[in-house]
Amino acid sequence: MADSLSAECTPLKQKYDSCFNAWFEGYLDPAIANNTSAEERAAYSKMKADEYQAKCGQIWEKYRECVQKAVKKRGLEKLLEQAREEFALKEPPPPPTQFKK
Amino acid sequence: MHFFSQDFTYDHPWSHVVIGMWRKYPNPRCSHVISVDVAERTVDPMTGVIRTERILGCKQKTPTWIVKLFGGSEDAFVREISFVDPANQNATMTSVNLSLSQFATCYERIQYCPSSSGRTSFTQTAEIQARMALWRSAADGLEKWLVQRFEQNAQLGKLAFTDVLRTLWEERHREIA
Repeated sequence: MADSLSAECTPLKQKYDSCFNAWFEGYLDPAIANNTSAEERAAYSKMKADEYQAKCGQIWEKYRECVQKAVKKRGLEKLLEQAREEFALKEPPPPPTQFKK
Repeated sequence: MHFFSQDFTYDHPWSHVVIGMWRKYPNPRCSHVISVDVAERTVDPMTGVIRTERILGCKQKTPTWIVKLFGGSEDAFVREISFVDPANQNATMTSVNLSLSQFATCYERIQYCPSSSGRTSFTQTAEIQARMALWRSAADGLEKWLVQRFEQNAQLGKLAFTDVLRTLWEERHREIA
């Protein structure tokens, strides 16, 4: 697993990554398969979102706090804010074919 | 503006590729990526789409003229937003540089979607663009400064030559007289 940008966050990051990866691998195949109706998808998504929160929420909060501090320390806070404003990307972008000229 | 694009097919099903996405680094073939952090992550309870914001730290040998002209250092950071949509089997990653972003942007898009017989197609495009407004204002400033300097020097040159001519011919006239 890759290191954090700050050595002090790396142990938290690796714990969080392990938690997320384990959850994600259990999530993915049924999410692909359980896709017969919007209701079914929503029921499964809600259940798994809650499960993710329950399993990884605590370590995520700790890791996130550490990264936020590290981002400030490295002088990246402003650049990150600007990028979030300029490219909000709240929704998936259009397929790359639409970018081709 | 410069464009880059490439397509490729991985011999793995979509779900395997997407699981691998979070495990790409550290990678001896991409030793320039030295850190990966998750800054934000949400699981949409309606659609099941996972949105992730990551910050990748890179160490690249930067040409010295770039460091001198723009500042910056060997450490560069990139912000990456990904969407994993299992219902539609679509994964996209969009990356933009954070470092030197006041001068130029490198906007990269990657998409993974299922291809025939359990394979996965990969599409990557990038647009690299200098911030023209900034260049223009810098260029304007430089031009103005050059014009001012030229005008000053032209004025001085005129006066200087006037002096030379006057001195030269006044002397000559005195000698004749």
